[in-house]
Amino acid sequence: MSRDNPINLRQDRRQWLKTSATVLGASLLPPAISAETSSAAASPQSKNEPKSPVRFFTPAQHSLVEELSETIIPADGHSGGAKAAKVADYIEQLLRESPDQYQKSSWLEGLRLIDLMSQHYNGKSFVDSSSEERIAVLTVLSDNERMTDLPEVRFFLELKAATVFGYYTSKVGIHDEMEYKGNRILTEYVGCDDPTPKTT
Amino acid sequence: MVEPEIDFQKTYDAVIVGSGAAGGMAAHVLTTHGLQVLMLEAGKKLPIEQELRSMEWPYDNAYRGELPPDRHGLTFNEYTIRRPPYGPGFEKAKHLHSYIGETDYVKNILVDERENPFTGTNYAWVRARCLGGKTNIWGRLALRLSDYDFKAKSRDGYGEDWPIRYSDIAPYYDKVDLYLGITGVKENLPYLPDSIFQRPTKLNCAEVTLKQSLQKMGRTLTQYRAGVTSDGLKHNQYRSRCLGRGACSRKGGCDIHAAFDSPTGLIYPAMDTGKLTLRTNAVVREVTVDPKTGKASGVHFIDSQTMKDYNVRGRVVIVAASTLESARLLLLSKSQQYPNGLGNSSGHVGHNFCEHIMGPGVVGQATDLVGKPSTLDDGRPGGFYLTRFRNLAEKHPKFIRGYGFEGGSGSRMFPEGTDRHGFGASFKEEVRQNQGSYVSMGAFGEVLARYENYVDLDPVVKDKWGIPALRFHYKFGDNEHRMAEDMRETAQEMFEAAGFKNIHVSRRILTEGWSIHELGTARMGNDPKTSVLNQFQQSHDVKNLFVVDGSAFVNASCQNPTWTIMSLCWRSCDYLADELGKGNL
Repeated sequence: MSRDNPINLRQDRRQWLKTSATVLGASLLPPAISAETSSAAASPQSKNEPKSPVRFFTPAQHSLVEELSETIIPADGHSGGAKAAKVADYIEQLLRESPDQYQKSSWLEGLRLIDLMSQHYNGKSFVDSSSEERIAVLTVLSDNERMTDLPEVRFFLELKAATVFGYYTSKVGIHDEMEYKGNRILTEYVGCDDPTPKTT
Repeated sequence: MVEPEIDFQKTYDAVIVGSGAAGGMAAHVLTTHGLQVLMLEAGKKLPIEQELRSMEWPYDNAYRGELPPDRHGLTFNEYTIRRPPYGPGFEKAKHLHSYIGETDYVKNILVDERENPFTGTNYAWVRARCLGGKTNIWGRLALRLSDYDFKAKSRDGYGEDWPIRYSDIAPYYDKVDLYLGITGVKENLPYLPDSIFQRPTKLNCAEVTLKQSLQKMGRTLTQYRAGVTSDGLKHNQYRSRCLGRGACSRKGGCDIHAAFDSPTGLIYPAMDTGKLTLRTNAVVREVTVDPKTGKASGVHFIDSQTMKDYNVRGRVVIVAASTLESARLLLLSKSQQYPNGLGNSSGHVGHNFCEHIMGPGVVGQATDLVGKPSTLDDGRPGGFYLTRFRNLAEKHPKFIRGYGFEGGSGSRMFPEGTDRHGFGASFKEEVRQNQGSYVSMGAFGEVLARYENYVDLDPVVKDKWGIPALRFHYKFGDNEHRMAEDMRETAQEMFEAAGFKNIHVSRRILTEGWSIHELGTARMGNDPKTSVLNQFQQSHDVKNLFVVDGSAFVNASCQNPTWTIMSLCWRSCDYLADELGKGNL
């Protein structure tokens, strides 16, 4: 899966879609519809109970989103990654409160497809894969990101956008990673003297 | 602050429709002259500091500063694909806003498109119905016009000259500078006169690089001339000086009011005179006319909440509802005596509609800044303004008039460059290393005032209050498209000359209306056959009717209009008070 020899996603997906049903059997992830009905079934509460929001993701889906987001923005020597920034919680809230049913089901479908890809390329679920193996799966999608007619590619792009936004608006992203200096009272704006000696 | 109740038995000296830059200025000037003034605002008086929350961190906001999920702000693509009215197709969103409504900080300031529909050609019509209107969230670039603009027809033969020249308005620009505060640097440019500036903020390093390169091309880059008080205003207790806190780059406003807004800059001080009465939630339906004299007698308004109707009386009526709403109100004010609408014997109300074209722009990188530590670049009222350079001394072969660029560079709260390809450790590293090195700018160009670009009333569609909606007949023309092509070329050429790398030119033209600089729908002029107002923004037809907002502009120039709106309004209101005192109205 090197850059010199990129995988043709359109060709490969026929295989991983075909083999999926037989290999997986009882999938880790319930299909989109049952995930929605199961969370809806869990919702009735007595009116006196404090309102705890019904989770959109199952615990397994939540872990998958955590690992996906961390693969997109990992922890490194400089700062924490998407997991430390709780990006999965941000995405969970985004989807839980979204009035857009299509967006919700396409996320669940996207998670399902990612795991199918992981089974195909790595022989195990995404969560069980090593970080190199996870990178390999997302590299297939990133390398083919122009194939936006494919649902897994659209999902990858949306996942990346949501992860990036969630990360760089988090405490970890703003303060630890970017070391943002603003949003405080300034005595004097430093700027640059004019004419500036050009740094080389 | 004294807040007298509206008195329906009283005849006010002046009734002002609208509380934005123009309405606020009219209230300030007329109360200073001792007149009894009533101001009507269609929207609410919002607890504005609670709306703007200028220092809120994204992670302390339930939606990271974005709109709540039950609301939607129209996108460029949606404006392109759909036609007004923009309600249908967005049923999932409980509230639908114009494109600027993409943050949590403006959601109650902007109107709901469904309650305020319009029809006709595509238009990104940004409306803020609340006390102060769009001044609560304006971009703050505060520029003067010059005789290159006022006498543009004399220079290139197109359109009409204004009935004033720069020397007529210059003293009023000075008054506005001193009363409201403006920061910037003197440049001594004949086509962009200097203001009386307060302390400027410095440019940052990439901006200085660009400035020096442009100097070799004979072009001028200067600090953003911001309608922001950097030294403070001793005469105004409602506004703080700018503290450089850095939330200026996000779409929202200034909750310490260092940036000018009409309520703290003009309306509250006017109320302190005891001569101003403010009535909010007052949707004005019509300017009423005394059939015996043919003069304006007051206005008829609907309470936006109770839907009840009211009439108020004034010796003078001042329309300051914003360019398009003011034209709409004049067209709505039909009577036997004025069958085409009030003040419209010329047939020019709603016509000569013009603004600024936007879209072409450029982003590049100052590579000497890659890998440098994060700097504080957004703790200032704005970045830079690159002044007009076309059709000044030389004549461009492909288009008339000019354009300028607004831009900036440096570190921001949300980093630039996250749209890059890839993911993972290298993606994260590259975003961090590159974030402070980006420079970008976007053009604002003059859209020619054309009679054929106009608004009228839709015969069928009405707003929430049963008032006929506006219908747009408005498109950019050939001159604008040729100018946009030049914007793209010069943007690229200037960034290349400055040595910036990874240059990306934005080629698209944004939807009509994007600049939020709509102008010209009741233009001034000396000839009552081809203009609506005289040089004092007084109706040619109805002596006690004044239209003091951007609708009076004869052309759009390429400079941002707010400072000129307020300066013209001050001049006209001085005249108005004088005439009223002489019994001439």
